[in-house]
Amino acid sequence: MKLSAQTKVLALLFSAGLFAGCSTTGENMDEEGYGSDVAAIDQDGGSTVYGGSDQDGISSSSMTEEERMEAQQQAEQEALRDITTFYFDFDTSEIKPEARDVLMAHARYLSNNPGQNVRLEGHGDERGSKEYNLALGERRANAVQRFLIVNGASRGQMETVSYGEEKPAVMGSSESAWAQNRRVELVFE
Amino acid sequence: MTGQEREFTSTGVPPWKSPVALSVALHLLIVGVALAGWSWSSSIQEPPPSSISARLITQQKPEPSPVVEPVEQPDREQEQKELEKQKQIEAQKRQQQKEEEARKAAEQKKREETERKAEEQKKVEERKAREAREAEAARQKAEAEAKERERRKAEAEAEKQRQQEAKRKAEEEKQRQEEQRKREEAERKQKEEQARQEAERKRLEAERRLQEQQLEAQAEQARKARADEARRQEQAAAAKARQTQMLSESEKYQALIRERLSQAWYPPSSATEDMTARLQITLLPTGELAGVKLVASSGNTAFDNSALGAVRSLSRYPVPSERDTFETYFRQFTIEFNPRRLR
Amino acid sequence: MIHEISFRPLKAMFAALVLMLVVVTSAQAELLIRVTEGADSAIPVSVVPFAENGSMPAGDKVSSIVQADLAMSGEFRPLPPEKMLSLPSKRSDVYFRDWRLLGQRYVLVGELTRNGDRVQARYELFDVNREERILGETAAAPASNMRSLAHHISDKVYESITGVPGAFSTKLAYVTLDRASGEPRYRLQVSDIDGKRARIRLESKEPILSPAWSPDGKKLAYVSFETGKPVIFVHEIGSGERSKVADFPGLNSAPAWSADGQSLLMTLSKDGNAEIYQMNLQSRKTTKLTNHWAIDTEAAWDSSGDGIFFTSDRSGGPQIYYMAKPGAEPRRITFGSRYNARPRPDASGNYVYYVHQRDRAFTIARTNLKNDEETVLTRTGSDESPSVSPNGRMLIYATKQSGESVLTVISADGGAAYSLPASEGDVRDPAWGPIVR
Repeated sequence: MKLSAQTKVLALLFSAGLFAGCSTTGENMDEEGYGSDVAAIDQDGGSTVYGGSDQDGISSSSMTEEERMEAQQQAEQEALRDITTFYFDFDTSEIKPEARDVLMAHARYLSNNPGQNVRLEGHGDERGSKEYNLALGERRANAVQRFLIVNGASRGQMETVSYGEEKPAVMGSSESAWAQNRRVELVFE
Repeated sequence: MTGQEREFTSTGVPPWKSPVALSVALHLLIVGVALAGWSWSSSIQEPPPSSISARLITQQKPEPSPVVEPVEQPDREQEQKELEKQKQIEAQKRQQQKEEEARKAAEQKKREETERKAEEQKKVEERKAREAREAEAARQKAEAEAKERERRKAEAEAEKQRQQEAKRKAEEEKQRQEEQRKREEAERKQKEEQARQEAERKRLEAERRLQEQQLEAQAEQARKARADEARRQEQAAAAKARQTQMLSESEKYQALIRERLSQAWYPPSSATEDMTARLQITLLPTGELAGVKLVASSGNTAFDNSALGAVRSLSRYPVPSERDTFETYFRQFTIEFNPRRLR
Repeated sequence: MIHEISFRPLKAMFAALVLMLVVVTSAQAELLIRVTEGADSAIPVSVVPFAENGSMPAGDKVSSIVQADLAMSGEFRPLPPEKMLSLPSKRSDVYFRDWRLLGQRYVLVGELTRNGDRVQARYELFDVNREERILGETAAAPASNMRSLAHHISDKVYESITGVPGAFSTKLAYVTLDRASGEPRYRLQVSDIDGKRARIRLESKEPILSPAWSPDGKKLAYVSFETGKPVIFVHEIGSGERSKVADFPGLNSAPAWSADGQSLLMTLSKDGNAEIYQMNLQSRKTTKLTNHWAIDTEAAWDSSGDGIFFTSDRSGGPQIYYMAKPGAEPRRITFGSRYNARPRPDASGNYVYYVHQRDRAFTIARTNLKNDEETVLTRTGSDESPSVSPNGRMLIYATKQSGESVLTVISADGGAAYSLPASEGDVRDPAWGPIVR
């Protein structure tokens, strides 16, 4: 109830044109309306998320509360699924806690769309030995695969491949580059 | 909570025990009093306490009258008999007024009769009093017993209530203790989990520290080794210098030769610690090499060659100018090449 | 840069334990001087430019190549020709006193004669102090193959001075990555060990890695992603013929040849986890050699051909393990740090070389298998893929230089370093080929 009231107020603000930048309002909404989990989305696919919520607010008068919530949840899920890269610490294949919600959303999506296939590409940073990194990349991809299976996706929808340190996302030999290269990418086909 | 518990346990004697003792004691006392009443009733006549009799009346049947009745019956008969006798005496008086003796005798008799009667009256009274006392004692006893029953009943009631209370309390206590235990268990588990996590963290920490320490130790070791090496070389140089000063001419020149050879020797990469090449050297008094001969091969040609090369590379050997020393030691001598690994 | 961390070859081996001087003062016994320490530097050697009879092919001179080879080994210190007092080409012209004055220990002189499309070399090596010829030979090669002739002479010179066969005629295989044209180009190349005469053997848009030489030097096994996943190929270098030998689900990687060339060790994850298998190349049958939930990979046969070194993270992080025979209970070899991977044993059976992490830097280290002593050989920081020369005297590895991957050669005990020229982009994954007789 509270959420909807706020959303409505914000929707009114929207239509009143009291602001210029969509992203700014988006942030406001985000802070007020959503839990902190969703904040991460901000950085990646912000505009999509806020567009969806915006429409929610405006059409809420003609929708039931359930429909509205459902639509909002769906929008959230869709927004979560904008994230397709998951990062790992050095020499580990442990899925980070912040990746869980997003992977859950992917698993639900895969579960609801059995015809959808996905390729899990495991990578490592450039340090250490190439062949060990290749095996590590595979272990990371397998970890993500297991997580998706446990949460509803089926093995048949997935294919894993490891590139080891061969295909860095970011060039360079800095901590930041390494952190961005230790990853598993979901490639939907 | 615990205070209560302490109170309960510190009593020592169970609470039901003392009333029994009390009741037993009271019984004994009452029986004692009753007995005392029996034995001392002739001399001490104590009026029964009114409060006790009042209670008895309300609770027990009315006082038994038959006990008193038979005592009064013979009394009236006696009086009638007496009247009759008086009538007879009066008739006699009237009939035999003249007979003094008879009259005196009658008077005597009358007196005696009166005495007897008084005696009898007294006896009756005594019996009556005794009976009254007995009745009183019985009443008192019954009353005491009733009182005792009442008291016991009350006590039993109280005891029961108390026990129920104790039971309730015990249950409460038990429940409380159970809760406490559960809470403690939960706490303990949490603590254990924390401890385990802590231990795990510490273990990882320790491992990490150990690794770091190992790394540090290695770095330190390497640094120390270098420092040691530098110091050893310095010390060796210093020692050498001292030795050179102190040693005889011969020793001084031996040291010089060895040092020059060390600088000139390039052991091949195939060399190992167990390779030894022995060469015999012949010098001229000028220090020039007159001849060299391999007297013991290392088994490795490259190694032997490196030794020969080193010996031949010196254009002039340092030798003493004093002829005797030269002839004794340096005209001909042996050099052994044998690599020793550091550490 | 490398000098500070590990002892120079000569110093390491011959630093004196005790400066011992045995003096026998009695009149009858002869004086004995014991030398236990050698000179702490590379051997001074002069490679005199060869005389030439007839027209010679353009390009590097044979003597220059020999000189570069000897310098690259880290064991020799060649004298620049401009400092030479004379340029003799035969014994009668060699004045030993001059060379001795220049502090030289060995002098190589020679003469090349054009003979149709071939060139003949006659060369002699002299020990300056002993004033003796220690090597004299003639060798011939097609005029188009002057580098082979030069490397052959280097091998001979190296062997006569050190007693160890030279490895200058061997080949290197490595992978280059060229991103200049937009699309990445991975190229498997084979060159001389000085990086010259490089030839592309395979080009792909997808990664190529882990080239491994067959014992006869005629084939390469490697991992190629050309089909979208890691697959092992065996590639005949002469004919260019190649075959896919391992294309199982999951990983197909880290190929290593057996001494007889009949089988490959490889890492497969077809059973769910990276394990080491041996594949008979004739029957293509695989035998599983490890069975552990951890990663087991990067297998290599030891010098005897009995045991197998490999990387496993069964203790938490990657470490080097050794199986005395295929399938035997592995024994852990490395303990010095939390990351040790990609073992490469040398032919002598004395050392195993590997990637080693220390102080956040990835370096190349070796462990002496006789006494378990570990020595860090490099300090470049992001070093990987060590490959030891077949004579055990040199080591090549990949490292970073101003952001680009380059190959560096060092002497096996961590001495002199020599960076191979990188012609295009990144160079990685070097594999040192065998000595082919």
